[in-house]
Amino acid sequence: MLLKNTNIVSAAQTKFGALEGVTLREMFSEAVDKATIDAGIPKKDIQAAFIGSFIPEMLVHQGHTAPLLLDFAGLKGLPATRHEAACASGATALRAAVMAIESGIYDTVLVAGVEKMTSVSTSGATEALAAAADDQFESSIGLTFPGVFGIAAVAHMQKYGTTEEDLARVAVKAHKNASTNPLAQFQKEITLEKAMTPRYIAWPLKLFDCSPISDGAAALVVTSNEKAKKYTDLPVKITGTGQASASMNLCDRDDLTSFSASVEASRAAYKMAGLEAKDMDFAVVHDCFTIAEIIASEDIGFFKPGEGAKAVRDGVTALDGDRPINPMGGLKAVGHPVGATGVKQAVVAYRELIGDAGPNQVAEHDTGVVHNFGGTGASCVVTVMRRGDA
Amino acid sequence: MSEKPTVEEYLKNIEEGMFKAYKCVDCGMVIAPPSGTCYGCGSSKMKWAEVSGKGKLISFTVIHIAPDEFVEEAPYYVAIIELEEGTRVSARLLGFDPLKPEEISLGIDVQLDYEKGKSGNTYLAFKPA
Repeated sequence: MLLKNTNIVSAAQTKFGALEGVTLREMFSEAVDKATIDAGIPKKDIQAAFIGSFIPEMLVHQGHTAPLLLDFAGLKGLPATRHEAACASGATALRAAVMAIESGIYDTVLVAGVEKMTSVSTSGATEALAAAADDQFESSIGLTFPGVFGIAAVAHMQKYGTTEEDLARVAVKAHKNASTNPLAQFQKEITLEKAMTPRYIAWPLKLFDCSPISDGAAALVVTSNEKAKKYTDLPVKITGTGQASASMNLCDRDDLTSFSASVEASRAAYKMAGLEAKDMDFAVVHDCFTIAEIIASEDIGFFKPGEGAKAVRDGVTALDGDRPINPMGGLKAVGHPVGATGVKQAVVAYRELIGDAGPNQVAEHDTGVVHNFGGTGASCVVTVMRRGDA
Repeated sequence: MSEKPTVEEYLKNIEEGMFKAYKCVDCGMVIAPPSGTCYGCGSSKMKWAEVSGKGKLISFTVIHIAPDEFVEEAPYYVAIIELEEGTRVSARLLGFDPLKPEEISLGIDVQLDYEKGKSGNTYLAFKPA
């Protein structure tokens, strides 16, 4: 096994949603306090910080955010760098932390993600998000993010017979799981009929196929084997990490029914962990749109290409199914503060693995996989995690 | 127009209704939108290529909720088109009712066109052949 020394020993998130009156630095600080002080980990033990944040320059007019956030959170002076890979920013920060711990440079580091999106109008947020697509060749003809996934949905439907109702079932599942998650933006179940309400955003994607605009932060403390013992009897080991990129432009992809970066990143992560997709008890995947969850479930090897929709239909990916996916509600219902998402996904996996997910606990929880996806699919990071005593 | 193609001129050609692709000097692969390096052989020597304008529809969407710049044009089609020369481009799709997308079949033949948007920009576009 290549990764021998990396453990998550605490994990926390703020509530996700429209957090009125709470600024970027305040939500960051809240997540950090929950992951350190509240978990019995003194801030003075933290040696460096790896921070995921997508585009605070456009959303809150703030660059050079890492030192600013650290100062406010009582960690002034530490080495701090922001990692940006659009919606995969959070997982790239985690991956950098893994490499730093494995190299032996640090023993204990903070990984955090944050985004404040509701401080601008919906069109302002849409414009900021559009910066994650190719401005000169695709955004310039009016292609939007929902549009990118609309194009993928049409291709998947044509090739495999996936239907709009299949997509709606992903949303129904997400809302059901989030209904018992007090940190979720939406905590209300929806019916299939409601999910099918024909309010098109980018045909065939409707309102309920899209993740919302959200504020929120999440944080992890990542540490070496030796130091982990000091904080917990039950760490979560990171045993595999994979990252890949792909063309920004959708038109430069040979296959629109699969995202090559997801396939490559998951293969690399499984290989590093010495495991296969079938060994995973559950998955946390990047469901920015309902079709994205179906395609991700195929790309990470949970289902064969074209069989992701059937798995949703048959309840296989439900909380009590054989292969649970997004057991706490996903981006779709918990919210998607872009830079926080990848870290929040790791928080979900951590809580599931140690058996701390309450009503959202999956039955088998030795090993899980986290899939965090950036922009049009031009970046993807996949992480394999295993409970320390498993 | 310079002999060595540039992104700026590629976009200007579309604006003027004279779309041209890139072509790899070393292996002849036709490339659009522009890439600094050939996807086929890795060469970075490019020249301009005239294209037939014939293509086929690979996939599409209808944008209903558009960014501010395009709001007045919504709903509108954005499609992925594979040119006869093998490369794929993103473009507007013309000639179909945006409220009846279910009537469109993938794989149909399309022909190069342009659309003058209300935004004042000219978009690369395709219409049924």
